[in-house]
Amino acid sequence: MEVACLQRRFIDLTATIFQQEILDSQFTQLQQLQDESSPNFIHEVVSLFFQEAEKLLNELSKALDQQIVDFKKVDAHVHRLKGSSASIGARRVKDVCIAFRSCCEENNKDGCIQHLQQVNQEYYLVKSNLEDLLKLEKQILASGGSIPTMK
Amino acid sequence: MATVQKLPGSSTSTASSYGSCRVDDEQFPAGLRVLVVDDDVTCLRILEHMLQRCRYHVTTCCQATQALSLLRERKGGYDVVISDVHMPDMDGYKLLELVGLEMDLPVIMMSADGRTSAVMRGIKHGACDYLIKPVRIEELKNIWQHVIRKKWNENRDLEHSGTMEESDRFRRVVDDTEYASSVNDGTDGTWKSQKKKRDTKEDEDDGELDNEDPSASKKPRVVWSVELHQQFVSAVNQLGIDKAVPKRILELMNVPGLTRENVASHLQKFRLYLKRLSGVAQNQSVLPNSFCGSVEPNAKLGSLGRFDFQALAASGQIPPQTLAALHVELLGRPSGSLVLPAVDQPVLLHASMRGPKCIPVEQGVAFGQPLLKCQSSTQKQLPQSNIAVEDMSSGFSAWSGNQFSPTGTAGNLGGVNKSQSGNLLVQMLQQQHPYPVLSESNHAINVQPSCLIAPSQSSNGFQIGNSNVPINRNSTGDTSLSSTSFQVRSNALPVNQNSNYTNSSTVMDCSLISSQSHNVPLDVEQVPDADLKNVSVLNGYSVPGSASPSVSSCSVRPESCTGWKVQNLVVNVAPASRLPAHLPSLCVQGSDPKMIALPDQGRGRNLGFVGKGTCIPSRFAVDDNESPTNDPSHWNMCIGNERVRVKQETVLDFGDGFEGEHAKLPHFSPSDLMGVLSKDGLAGCYLKS
Repeated sequence: MEVACLQRRFIDLTATIFQQEILDSQFTQLQQLQDESSPNFIHEVVSLFFQEAEKLLNELSKALDQQIVDFKKVDAHVHRLKGSSASIGARRVKDVCIAFRSCCEENNKDGCIQHLQQVNQEYYLVKSNLEDLLKLEKQILASGGSIPTMK
Repeated sequence: MATVQKLPGSSTSTASSYGSCRVDDEQFPAGLRVLVVDDDVTCLRILEHMLQRCRYHVTTCCQATQALSLLRERKGGYDVVISDVHMPDMDGYKLLELVGLEMDLPVIMMSADGRTSAVMRGIKHGACDYLIKPVRIEELKNIWQHVIRKKWNENRDLEHSGTMEESDRFRRVVDDTEYASSVNDGTDGTWKSQKKKRDTKEDEDDGELDNEDPSASKKPRVVWSVELHQQFVSAVNQLGIDKAVPKRILELMNVPGLTRENVASHLQKFRLYLKRLSGVAQNQSVLPNSFCGSVEPNAKLGSLGRFDFQALAASGQIPPQTLAALHVELLGRPSGSLVLPAVDQPVLLHASMRGPKCIPVEQGVAFGQPLLKCQSSTQKQLPQSNIAVEDMSSGFSAWSGNQFSPTGTAGNLGGVNKSQSGNLLVQMLQQQHPYPVLSESNHAINVQPSCLIAPSQSSNGFQIGNSNVPINRNSTGDTSLSSTSFQVRSNALPVNQNSNYTNSSTVMDCSLISSQSHNVPLDVEQVPDADLKNVSVLNGYSVPGSASPSVSSCSVRPESCTGWKVQNLVVNVAPASRLPAHLPSLCVQGSDPKMIALPDQGRGRNLGFVGKGTCIPSRFAVDDNESPTNDPSHWNMCIGNERVRVKQETVLDFGDGFEGEHAKLPHFSPSDLMGVLSKDGLAGCYLKS
């Protein structure tokens, strides 16, 4: 009973996440790649993404805090964040990163700072959603249920 | 001067060791060894998992420098590299460049940057693919194609370089002897290294390739004309096919402007050609017995008849020595000369074997196997119209006399002519007929040998070859089979002449044998008609076993003789026009083609021989010009699959012996007479006054 409830919540959350484009089909593919041989694959990858993203966000904050902004460096960080978010399927983070990079090319410090804030928001949004999702997943498995497959 | 047409050496396939990627593995592409480099650990982990899903063998690495050291430590340890573009320690492009230089591996670039400029940059640096992040597993499933494609391109490049840089390669080869073999074997190592060099340059500038080897563009094209090829073949024969190397051939040919590489490529082709022939011939190897065998009417040799024969001249009067001298003289001459040098009163015998129609296949004299399988085809191929008789002299003499034959035929074409050189000159006038297919020709050749040559002889590749050769020509000419020109002399033909041709001896023997050993009744009829001056029909000769003393090697079994007897003994002396009708049906004793199988070498030699024979100006002039290809193969024998138009004139010189044109003919004793058999056994003898 509880399992079914957990599963329904899982499905609802997933639907919301995709509907809001917090995650995209890339994440779906990662879910499909998770199998018996690598039951923790999603968790593993998501954790890596968190570490990577937070490190980059810190770097970006530092870089944009400078009197003289090294836009090249900023751009490199953003580019890297873009790659990571794309790989995980964090669509909105990636989209902000694209806009962020154009600001870097323009050497637009204010724009960069603005985008950094956006990226932070989007990142924590996807992070919380992912954490919720993984938590649900863990509970379902703990209850002996199976993870509903997403379309 | 002869232009030389350069034949691209066929390139050997690279040692296609896909070993590294185990392409030959049934599991392929599973197990493909992939090295992934990305400083983004998230991405790296995802890629690793995806690649594992594809059942590749994955190695991951988050630093470009580390990747490079891995690649350097384990050269050949990876099949493909996937690298991120932006990495802190080393630009992905730099890594790509180094990998391309050092290990020549396919490298796939990937980046979240999908701008055209970024992708273009990757391509320019030699990336075989460019993946835009996020990378999907669908894309990774297909990366093995880059490995295969690279291998194939390498092979293609090798071939390319084989031609492009042939000259260079040749120049590098110091020792000819080794060289020859290396040409055939293709030195993979050399090519490969060259290939690598070129690859590097290609990265910088593709256009550079053309300039790289100036000799390629400047190299004069070499057209292997008939004469040139003849020279080539005679040189090869002189050296022996096994020992012939480009340098020595070149020396023997002594043609200005011709380079060793030209000769080498030609030799290569020639060898391939011989190889092909040998394949065809294998079935036919053993002839001797076939002689004895019953004549198979089926043999369709007759069809060959389309050739026009001109020239049958037999001069009994010329002493062997003289003949020999002539022979030498002839040989000395450039192949091109068709004209018989020394014949004072050349009698041209035209045997016009015209319509294949005329000669029923059955009638066609079959010399055992020789009958070319192809012959039937040949007949088809050669419409009468095709046959152009250039010099149709009024007089025809048709000989049905294949009987002799076996020997006769052989002798006629090659050895016989030579031996009698003065006496019989067979010039092949233009035979507009397409040549019979190689196979045919081969068969034809085979036949003769069997007939003429005793098994013992056959043992020698050469001898067989020789015999074959003549036949081939005949076959080519169509006439060959049907027409055999025989001289019947009491005297043994000088063997000396044979010496020139290694094989020739056999041929000579045959002719001798036939003439000598056997009493061959020759019927010589004079044709009253102006048109037909002399028609001598040799009716079935039966050559009992004939072993001419002179030629020990050739022993003809008496038994065989029976076989040889020509069924159609009837010789019609008719005007040329009639000839077709008159064509005697020759019975070819049915030796199966199989019988004649010659060893490869033998064949090879044969060919060579043939070539020589052709070289002899007076005897045969074969113009390949019309043949589409100048390839040796064509040339070599009429053997070539392709139809070659050949001019064949057969000129029989009755040396001094013939004073009166016609009048004398009767006088000829059988021994003196040369029997000229046209292919089908019809031989039109034209006596040219």
